[in-house]
This record gives sequence, C-alpha cells and structure tokens, in this order.
Amino acid sequence: MAQCSVRTATVLGVEAVPVDAEVDVGAGLPAFAIVGLPDLAVQEARERVRSAVRASGFDVPNARVVVNLAPGPLRKHGTGFDLAIAIGLLTATGQLPKRIADECAAVGELSLDGSVRAVPGMLAHALAARAQGRPLIGPAEATGSLAIRDLDYRPISHLAQLRGGIPNSACGSIGLATATDTRADFGDVAGHELAKRALLVAATGGHNILMVGPPGSGKTMLARRLPSILPPLENTERLETALVHSVAGLDDAQALSGIRPFRAPHHSASIAGLVGGGSPPRPGEASLAHNGVLFLDEMPEFGPAALQALRQPLEDGFVTLVRAEGRLRFPARFALVGAANPCPCGFKGDRDRACTCPPGLVERYQGRIGGPLMDRIDIVIDVARIDPALMLCTGATAVRSTELRELVLESRAVALRRGRGETSVLSGGDLLAACELSIAAREFLECAARAHYLSGRGVTRLLRVARTCADIAGDARVTTEHLGEALGYRSREVG
Amino acid sequence: MRTLVTCAPQFEVALGDPLYPSHLAETPDPPAALYGFGDPAALVPGLAVIGARKATPYGLQAGELFAGWAARAGYTIISGGAIGCDQSAHRAALRHHASTVAVLGCGADLVYPSNAAELLAAIAESGAVISEHPWGTRPQRWMFRTRNRIIAGLAAGLVVLEAGLPSGTFSTADYALAAGRDVFVVPGSIFAPECRGSNRLLHQGATPICDVSELAEALASVLPPPATGAGAGWALASDTICGDEILAALRTHNWRPDDLARLLEEDIVSVARRIGILEAGGLVVRFGDGRYGGTPKSRG
Repeated sequence: MAQCSVRTATVLGVEAVPVDAEVDVGAGLPAFAIVGLPDLAVQEARERVRSAVRASGFDVPNARVVVNLAPGPLRKHGTGFDLAIAIGLLTATGQLPKRIADECAAVGELSLDGSVRAVPGMLAHALAARAQGRPLIGPAEATGSLAIRDLDYRPISHLAQLRGGIPNSACGSIGLATATDTRADFGDVAGHELAKRALLVAATGGHNILMVGPPGSGKTMLARRLPSILPPLENTERLETALVHSVAGLDDAQALSGIRPFRAPHHSASIAGLVGGGSPPRPGEASLAHNGVLFLDEMPEFGPAALQALRQPLEDGFVTLVRAEGRLRFPARFALVGAANPCPCGFKGDRDRACTCPPGLVERYQGRIGGPLMDRIDIVIDVARIDPALMLCTGATAVRSTELRELVLESRAVALRRGRGETSVLSGGDLLAACELSIAAREFLECAARAHYLSGRGVTRLLRVARTCADIAGDARVTTEHLGEALGYRSREVG
Repeated sequence: MRTLVTCAPQFEVALGDPLYPSHLAETPDPPAALYGFGDPAALVPGLAVIGARKATPYGLQAGELFAGWAARAGYTIISGGAIGCDQSAHRAALRHHASTVAVLGCGADLVYPSNAAELLAAIAESGAVISEHPWGTRPQRWMFRTRNRIIAGLAAGLVVLEAGLPSGTFSTADYALAAGRDVFVVPGSIFAPECRGSNRLLHQGATPICDVSELAEALASVLPPPATGAGAGWALASDTICGDEILAALRTHNWRPDDLARLLEEDIVSVARRIGILEAGGLVVRFGDGRYGGTPKSRG
C-alpha cells in the first residue's frame, strides 16, 4: 500500500484539535514534501523523520513522499507531528502493522536518533484522544502526569519500540494524589495579625485583596503564604489548571496533585504576557493562575493597559482572544492579590522615615490602579513595617498555616451549604438574602454607608466581606460585629 | 364620595378639652373642635411638610428626604393628605414607622382625594387623620385654605418642598408666620415654574434648607429631637462607649489595629470589629496610612 493516514492533533488555545497526517508514497523523483499550512518547525520534521527512521533500523523509501496535514485551512505549528508522520511513512511502506495507524493517535517529537520527546500540551492531546476513543502513543517522558484514571496512554521512548505493535498502556488506574503547598508557612510570620486575618478572609470567600505598605513591610512574604491556606483543587479544577500549564509547556504535576497555582509576574509584563496572546496564542499569567492566585507585586508599576486587560477575566473568569484566525478562549478564574507601595518613594505613613514625594504625585500613583479595577478588589489593607524587636521575639506563637487552612475549609463548607455560589461574586438580592441582616445590622450598615460615602458597589463589597467574616465565625446571620470588621477592609478611595 | 374604613378609634375634642393640643389653642384662630380618627395624643408639635399637588420628581424626592429624616429622628410629620408633595411626606413617615398627622379640608370620615383611602387608613393607625369640620362635611374650595392654618398651628416648623405661583402653600406659610412658626423652604430651580413660589418665599426671608443637617440644626432650636422617637437609625449605645478601652487608647494616640491588639492583649478580630463599629459611629477615624485615631466627637 502506498498511502496511510495517522490521527494526531495540534494545540489551539487550551484544546487539541484533531489533525490527520496523510502520507503518500508514490512514484517520482525522490522527495519529501509537507503540505497543509505547516510552520517552519513542521517543515523541519522532514529531516528529523528521515534520520529517526533510519536510526531506528527502518528504511526510508527511495520515492516521492508527500505528507498532507488535514484539515488544510488550520495552521499547524510545533514539532508534535513528527511521530505521526513517521508512523504514516512506515505503515505506508509496509514496515509497521496497519493496526497502529488505524486504532491509535500519535503525538511526539522525534530526535535524530529515533528517540521520542515530549511536546507542550501532552495533557490536551491525551484528552483529545480520549474524546475520540483512541489510545494515544506518545513520549515516555510525559507519562508522569498522564498516568491518571481513564486516559489510555501508550508511552514509547524510541521509535523502534513500535516494531512490537501497539505499545502497552501506562498504568491508567491511579487516582490523583493530593498534596499541599508547604513551601511557605504563616507560622514563620511575626506580627501582621490584621493582614493574616484579611488573607484568611480572602482565602475563604475568594475575595481579591490589595496590600498597601512601604517596601520591606512583608507584603510579598504574606502573599506567598496565601497558597498554603487555600483548599486543594477539586478534581475538575485540577484538570482545567493542569491543561493550561500543559499547553504552556510548564510542569502540570503540581496542579494535578491539587496544589493551587501561584503566579507572580514581574511588573514589566506585557498585555500578551498577562492575559495571553502571541502567535500561536499562548495562555498568559492570568490563565496560568486559573483556580489559583495571581499575585501582582508593585501593582501601580504595571502598564496601565496590561492592568486594565485583567478586568474581563476578573469579571467573567476567562479571557477571549480575538485574532484574524478566530477567537480563542482561555480559562482565567483567579484570586487577585495585589501589593503596592503607598507612594513612589514608598515611605508615606512609615513610622520612622518621612515620605519625600510631592503631594500630587502620591494621588496619581495611587490612582494608577484605576477605579474599575479597584471596584473588583473587595479587601484593601495597610501593611506596616513591624518593629524589629517583635520580629525577633515571636514566631513560635504565630498560628501555623495548617490551622488556618482547617478554618478556611470549614468556613467554605458553611458557605457552600448556603448554596448561593461563591461569596465574592454575590450581589443584589442574592447577597442580601445570604446576609440575613437583622434590623440593627441594617441600620448600622446605613449609618456606616452614610458616614463613609459608600457607593452601591462599596456597600456590595462591604456586605460580601462581612458575609465571609460571618462564615468564619460560623454565624448564619451577618451582625453589626461582622460589618464592623469588614468596614476596616474597605478601600480608602471614596466609593 | 367614599367613607374612610379604618380600625382606628374615632375622637372629637373641643377647644378647652384637656386632649385639645395646647400649642394649637395658642394660635390666633384655633378651630373650635377637632374631629378625627386615630390617637388625639399624636397631635404633638411636629414638622409640617407641604408642597404643591402638581409635584415634580424634585419635590417628591425632597419630601422623601426631609420627611424621611425627620420621621427617623422621631418627629411627627404633619401634612394635608393631598396628592403630590403631601402624600410623599406621609408615605416617608409611614415607611419609617413614625407618627404622622393628616389635616383634611373635608370631614375626617370622607376619603378625599379619592386615591388616598389606603394611605389615610394607614395614617389613622400610625397617628391621626383630623378635620375641624363635623363628620360627613363635603369638601368645598375655601375649606382647604382654612385648614392650612391648622397644619401651621400644629407644627413647630414648616418645610415647603415646592410651590408654584399662585399657590395655597403661601397661605400655610402666612398662617405659620402669624402663629410664630419657623418656615423652611427647599430652594428650587430658577427655571422651573413649579418652584417660583417657593423661591419667592426664600426671597421674603424664609430659611433655605439644602440638606438634612441644615434642617436638623434649624429644627433643633425650635423643637428639640424627641427623646422617645424611633431613633435616628443606628447609634452607639452610650454605656458601651465610656468603658471602652480601645476608644480610650485611640483618644490619646494614633494606633494601628495590630499594635492596639498587642497593647491591650486582645485578639485581632475583636479589636478590628470594635474599631469598625466605633468608626461607623464617628468616634474614630482611619488615616491614610492605616492608623486610627479618636475624633473630636470622641473627646467631647
């Protein structure tokens, strides 16, 4: 036979789209052509396939080889087609049994010596193969994260292994192990009790939080400890998050083991870097933080356009990229943790050092984050530099992350039983119903709203945070006390 | 004409009767008798809130604002039960469960205007619906002008929301001045014909009120806020203020919640809650750097 078609796929967004690698070996001058909108990396597959086939002890036909990657209009990129092209070539020339091409899908890059390498998005490929009911033949080095339940993965480390027919399945019956992030612990943080409490509230209700304080006050240190009190990822969340990491070519093992991602992009990040983009479109930091934490240190230093681009994901939980080739949707539901200096010099309000900024500059600096984005931040706290003496003497007395995590889990269970969805997205009638304000609490709220000129959105934020405070206390109703605490977390801007 | 259906008791008080409101008796031309539904004890000095029947949204909102505030502060709201501004004032009072009095131009058992049946019944149950005319007296034009002197006489102060030219509201203002009552006027647009009358009252020397605090201040001099009122919303209980360690500490120095908790050896959550409550009560204030301190109110 002179023709063979092998099922493979290309990654588009966070999905793998099926592609057929059709190989035709025919009469004519010896040649090797690849058609079907291949990019340069795909074109170079010719040389890799030729060498790998030869190094594996197979023969390269002395004929005209044409490879068509279908569907034609879809742009193909990357090196993942190598394995499928090689299998197609070998099957068409009768050197491999036909069953492999008929029953399986294949993805992997070939090295010149015939060994098989992993490509970004192996998890996406495995899921796409599962959707088509085919086992996936791929590199053995990617087995780690793919050896999970109901994925039929057939790892090979060398092309020559296909001589024995369809490879054996990697043990596909293990469930997902659950790990916790223990890299940083709140027990190591002295003082900062209010900030810790605010982070506990944020972790419980899924609220976005902004920490304001002079340099060296511990904002970054506090933020890095937030993952240690977050509940583990649910099974579906694990897969969603691991998928994004997988297509970005990052390690997806952490997400699969239930650890929430913590992304801390530098403030020089571009829009594409933050929300995704490029060609081919890759997920940005917002998507990599899906189901986890996006930490923006020095938030006012970020480009205004990049910051404002976060508004859509903060609202909708996904990013839609519109390009000439079409629309792509990346998941991006994350908790935003921001840190900012109070002013450009950083020492406004510091206990020892005086601020040297001219007054107008301070307002402009604080205004850089922008009203619409601040509207999506429920909790704003001030973090002060702590007394050096305090830093040295405590530590043993600080509450450990494990205890806080227990509290978060319990309180989230309370919120879940109420059954109105996550507190941080409640609004309007649902929010009021969830709060069950007593008459006293209602009057307190009115009084506080008037005293602080709170806008409707400000009141909504206050109620959400108060609802979470009540959840932590285990109270069914929001009382004056909870509102009082929430009032301390409101943003300093009017509204 | 429909008769008023209410479960509130009927009453009749004559001039000289102990139940007859004494401040009304002192006016130049007090009615000989009052017929009404509800509680004659509700006829205490209150705040009259009146305005044109052809009210604009501006007048209705002003009625809602000022009558609503006064009702919450415990003042009795007095008005004429008419369409427009009058009814908005009554409704604002009822919404805040405050006492309100409607003075009608016809007999108190008749429903006039005809849309007011439910409103009048509610007023009778929360305060009183009264008239100087015997039961069953049908309304005549001139009666509304004379009933305005009762509204002015019952009130300690009079708020005019909106009045065009000519307007019956003027007669109420005249009666109020004759009875020695203060007249407050909500300024209106110079372009709105509905406000021409009220703006003229300002020109003639009435006190303009532009917000609630101005009304509160102006009213405090003629009628102190009733102690037994519904209360002006939430307020800090005074007995919890004096022994408050947190407030005492914040009066002397500005503190961050963290430092305060360490100083008082209390946990951060209860300190944060208390500070929030004190802040809403206007006793402490948060500064730009996250520190809190006592306000002048906390020291006075």
